[in-house]
Amino acid sequence: MTDRQIMTGDEIRRAIIRISHEIVEKQAGTEGLALVGIQRRGVPLAQRIAAAIEEHEGVKPPVGALDITFYRDDLSLVAQQPIVKGTDLPFDLNGATVVLIDDVLYTGRTIRCAMDALIDFGRPRAIRLAVLIDRGHRELPIRADHVGKNVPTSREEIVHVHVAEMDGADEVTIARQAGDDTDRR
Amino acid sequence: MSAKAGLKAGQAGQVVERLEIQKAWLVDPVAGREGPGEVVVTDGVLESVVWLEGDEASGVDDRGVVVAPGLLEIHAHFREPGFEDAETVATGCAAAAHGGYTTAAVMPNTQPTLDEPGILERVRAAAEASGSPVEVLAYGAVSLDRAGEQLSAMGELADAGVVGYSDDGACVRTPGLLRSALLYAGMLGLPIVDHCEDAELTAGAEANEGYVASVLGLAGWPAAAEVNAVSRDIAVLADALRDEPRARLHLTHLSTAAALDAVRQARAAGLPVTCDVTPHHLAFTDEWIAGSRRWSWEALAADGSSGDPWVDGALTAAPYDTSLRVNPPLRTPADAAACLAALLDGTAGAVVTDHAPHTAVDKEVEFGKAINGISGIETALGILLSLVDAGKLPLARAIAALTTGPAGIMAGWSRVAGTPAARPRGLTEGAAADLVVFDRADSWQVTADSLLSKGKNTPLLGRSLPGRVLFTVGDGRLAYQDPSPDQA
Amino acid sequence: MSVQTEAGAAQAGRKDAAPTQDVAWHHRHVLDVDVLTWPEIELIMRTAEEMSGILSRPIRKVPALNGRRVTTLFYEASTRTRVSFETAARNLSADVVSIATATSSVTKGESLVDTIRTIEALGAEILIMRHSVSGAPYLAAQVFGGHVLNGGDGWHAHPTQALLDLYTMRQHVPGGDLRGRKVVIVGDILHSRVARSNIWSLTAAGADLWLCGPATLLRGLDRWAVAWEGGKVPGHGRFHVTSDVAAAIRDADVVMALRIQRERMQSGLLPSLREYAARFGINAERVSTARPEAIVMHPGPMNEGVEIAPDVATSGRSVVTEQVSNGVAIRMALLYLLAGSHDGTAPGAAR
Repeated sequence: MTDRQIMTGDEIRRAIIRISHEIVEKQAGTEGLALVGIQRRGVPLAQRIAAAIEEHEGVKPPVGALDITFYRDDLSLVAQQPIVKGTDLPFDLNGATVVLIDDVLYTGRTIRCAMDALIDFGRPRAIRLAVLIDRGHRELPIRADHVGKNVPTSREEIVHVHVAEMDGADEVTIARQAGDDTDRR
Repeated sequence: MSAKAGLKAGQAGQVVERLEIQKAWLVDPVAGREGPGEVVVTDGVLESVVWLEGDEASGVDDRGVVVAPGLLEIHAHFREPGFEDAETVATGCAAAAHGGYTTAAVMPNTQPTLDEPGILERVRAAAEASGSPVEVLAYGAVSLDRAGEQLSAMGELADAGVVGYSDDGACVRTPGLLRSALLYAGMLGLPIVDHCEDAELTAGAEANEGYVASVLGLAGWPAAAEVNAVSRDIAVLADALRDEPRARLHLTHLSTAAALDAVRQARAAGLPVTCDVTPHHLAFTDEWIAGSRRWSWEALAADGSSGDPWVDGALTAAPYDTSLRVNPPLRTPADAAACLAALLDGTAGAVVTDHAPHTAVDKEVEFGKAINGISGIETALGILLSLVDAGKLPLARAIAALTTGPAGIMAGWSRVAGTPAARPRGLTEGAAADLVVFDRADSWQVTADSLLSKGKNTPLLGRSLPGRVLFTVGDGRLAYQDPSPDQA
Repeated sequence: MSVQTEAGAAQAGRKDAAPTQDVAWHHRHVLDVDVLTWPEIELIMRTAEEMSGILSRPIRKVPALNGRRVTTLFYEASTRTRVSFETAARNLSADVVSIATATSSVTKGESLVDTIRTIEALGAEILIMRHSVSGAPYLAAQVFGGHVLNGGDGWHAHPTQALLDLYTMRQHVPGGDLRGRKVVIVGDILHSRVARSNIWSLTAAGADLWLCGPATLLRGLDRWAVAWEGGKVPGHGRFHVTSDVAAAIRDADVVMALRIQRERMQSGLLPSLREYAARFGINAERVSTARPEAIVMHPGPMNEGVEIAPDVATSGRSVVTEQVSNGVAIRMALLYLLAGSHDGTAPGAAR
């Protein structure tokens, strides 16, 4: 199993900056914006995007974390990953424009769960999606509004996003896997 | 070690035309002798018993095929009439023969109760109709319908041939009734066989009162309930003897060290009281309810204290198995050791199975609701041989506990003594063949299919036991033959 | 109060002393706390915490058990516990059916085994059972193809109660660490499945556990305590059994009262409830000898004026209502973990 790097740390940094500009552009400002990172790696990405927005707009939008463990439609993972990582939404969702942030967009099921979870907390005015990597193979009609990089992949490959906050370094790699499907989302 | 056996007329129930067992280990508890030998049965008679010596005896030891007298069961339940779903006299006899038994004395807790001769006739007729060579004896109830109020038709039952009286399933209810029963039965030359249990102390009880019951949250069955009843019975016997010197008392299935001690002291004082212990009280313990399956002697620490199944990692089965629910309950390893000690020093004169078959319906319920009883007549020999294998009991003593032991107890009851029922049970040339042949080098799997009893309620299901029974011959007729081939 | 108790020493010597995120759940049933390892108990605690989070949301529901069928089978009447389980199951979006045997065919003599087979044929995947005979859920576990969650069996076990008690206690001691903390349970220990399950969980937690009550209601427990002396059972420390209520409560961090039933008087185990209240009741005077921050607990329902004085039951120390809400969280956690184990589908199905 050889890992191939498809994004360097610098490329990630530039993508985050671009996404942060796109988000503000779409919103025509920062009013009503809230960023919600999907556990686990969506969270540090959301923090960085928020920091980037603060850098060029002078205003930092609120940042939250969303755990979708209890919204999954596949309980078979519970035995292997029973631990939940926590949901923290320190702002009022009602009427907010929530930008969901995740590292990889694949089949779209995670995002569907995330929308279910979000709506249980309140009624956002709009939900948008920003992802670092879009690897294709959608199984649901889900589309990202902001994409860091489009990467065509085959189903036998896994995309790993590494972030310094958790993995020590920033990079995105792709590897061919031997049939372990646990990373599908 | 290998024996050759030839059998003609291999049909169960028929007279054995010829059976030869060569180079086997013979055990004759009447002669007090064991060793290499050969037996020949011709036309139902034990024609010859030859003890081998010198070169002929070489290579034959007590770990292969063994020939012993047919085993004598003096406490079994064959459930007929009334509970034929659980067992019939026919299936009970088949099971007995599989266990190596050629005689079985059944208890009167049938429905209707065996408290008058008409019911005894039904049991006899059923035994006859079964065609089994296993001899069926019977006890009459002490009290009418075992209700503990009035005496049963004791005289008529004696004339009809019961070997004693018992309210087994329950204790003789009051000291007054026991005293009357001892006097009247003594007059008739028959014993009272009592199941010692103080019912007030055991109301609602589920398992032996002890560490295991405390942890498992089961209502305790105190040892005092057995000792209390035993002490009462012995005291009443002592009184009754003054008026009727032929009064006899036999205490069955004792399970606690304290009760056995009380009997030991009474016997030392010269009282005509005998007792017996069961294979399950010798080998299983209350730990098994928690899920342990180690033999009682394996659960005993070097200093004689009981092991702790939670500490020793002994839990291998699911807890609350209802096949373990029995009256008296399985006790601690120390009690089991006391049962063995009593057997070895003669306090307990015999091992009896208290064979108690039950239907799955009665057992496949919550532990506290399960009916008491273990189906044990087919596994008794295997359990005793396990004790022999573990060096806890010499082979000859084990055989004696199942033959001359119970016969000796019955010989103490004057009306029974001298009848065929109380015959000595040895390997006697010229007598009707009555023997069991089993192979200690071979084992057998206890399964619902291999058990011939309708009662599959034994915690030994799935386990293998030593000592596969090859032949059981009773009264000269073939009672059981091992179905597997190669008896050359 | 020394923290260096035998219980603490036993705990410290145990591997996995620090909570780990890598525990997998593999139990098909939850029948008692005795087979749970400490890391598994901590997993349940962490999962319950998340469930508590859900309970504080505007919408107290998640779809985790959507479409899964949960059946409660209560042979003993118990509205509170049954409703707690039902609430837990509904909060996870499960479909719940409740069978109270007083009105079912059980009164016509249907056996437990037949009842369970019927329930299974009707599609139940998780069976929550309460029964008055010790060991009944073990029989159920042999017969039922899905998961069995024991809601209390006879005198033997009440795992969800012990876990919610543990969860509640941890919220009130510094660091959530019960090692060396003195916990006293006062009442009818002999007949109490709550006490027995708490023995397993609290000794695993390293607490300094005291069981207290009149001698007639402590029968056999000292033998158990002696058997566990010196930390003989791996992962479990010793505990104390005494009828000296003053010694038991003094400097306690947690005081738990158990219900005394009227039947105990009638079966000759207690002279009267009044005498029990006078000699063993948890009243303000006794509680004042416990630590200033000590909490008072009760599994409910309470006999105020018997095992617990009314003013203590409603005092600031009492955490009885927290126990109730924690009960829902713990039960949600267990249902979630059970439902996710032995799932029929292959792991990692497409999402």
